[in-house]
Amino acid sequence: MKLSTVQSDAIQELGNIGAAHAATTLSQMLGSTVEMSVPAIKAIDIAELGSYMGEESAAMVAFELQGEIPHGGFVIFYISKESAIRLTNTMLGMTDMDRAMNEMDESALIEVGNIMVSAFLDATAELLGFIMLPSPPALSLDMAHAAMASLVAQMGDDVDEVLLFSTELVCEEHKIDSDIIMLPETATLKRIVELMENMMKGI
Amino acid sequence: MIGIGEYRIGSFPMMTIGLGSCIGLTIYDETLKIGAMVHIMLPDSAGRQDRPGKYADTAIPLLLKELGALGCKSRSLKAKMAGGACMFEYFGTNLNIGERNAERVRALLKEHNIPLVKEDVGGKIGRSVTFQPANGGKVSIRRANGTSGEL
Repeated sequence: MKLSTVQSDAIQELGNIGAAHAATTLSQMLGSTVEMSVPAIKAIDIAELGSYMGEESAAMVAFELQGEIPHGGFVIFYISKESAIRLTNTMLGMTDMDRAMNEMDESALIEVGNIMVSAFLDATAELLGFIMLPSPPALSLDMAHAAMASLVAQMGDDVDEVLLFSTELVCEEHKIDSDIIMLPETATLKRIVELMENMMKGI
Repeated sequence: MIGIGEYRIGSFPMMTIGLGSCIGLTIYDETLKIGAMVHIMLPDSAGRQDRPGKYADTAIPLLLKELGALGCKSRSLKAKMAGGACMFEYFGTNLNIGERNAERVRALLKEHNIPLVKEDVGGKIGRSVTFQPANGGKVSIRRANGTSGEL
């Protein structure tokens, strides 16, 4: 599905509001300021996914979008391995960076992902009056491309191009860099665009 | 580098990175020292023809046809595959695409009488694969946990 400039502006605005709520929750959990980027919308051909996400180790907490549209796509909390360790360390008051990921990191990531993605979806649901509920979280600590491609393979639409919208959330004090990525199915995207357009007509 | 749904044929080194549920399949001709590599994403094309490398059922006949056009005899071809993992446990319970991909590739190779001499599939781990047809068809794997090896 191709988006017009107005449509992609509308989605960007939606991402902005969702991510702002997620950033606030992250900021509360870390007790530190969190800056967010302007949400970026990227249409990526699946053959090119490797140049967007490669072999680097990352943690991805993925949620399937459920609710009015039963398999609506995915929302993902993405964080590099180094940032993930710093995140757990900060939350638990530890300093050891030179360690392998363990169960504690896994629980922390799932919990943080859960809280942030819920905040993101609550905010967008409230704005649009369109319910998107997150499935239980699923965690992958692995090559970023391997995890992302596996999610794309599970999408209901057999697509050659994926539309990703992502917002970067950065905590400078603790050098934590993360992303919230939304990978909507076409049906979800259509519904969001339609609701955003109606809303803008009303203004 | 071979992206999702792409394939290459020749004697030059080839590579796929970050295979999750996808399959990296190599078919090597030991007589002519040439080979093919494809990055398969899904088991079934459901009739689609526009990206043959993306699906197991369109990729395998295509590679065999193109290798045949280069003079490869099917009795000197040998296949190896890697990937087919289940990266996310929760979603994996309802629909394990990695496993279905691997099964489909095995079945199709059997149907075309191409021996699958080695495989490194399944589990919950990402893999990157390099293939060197000019170097005896060497297939090397790097796994996300830091281990590596040869197929």
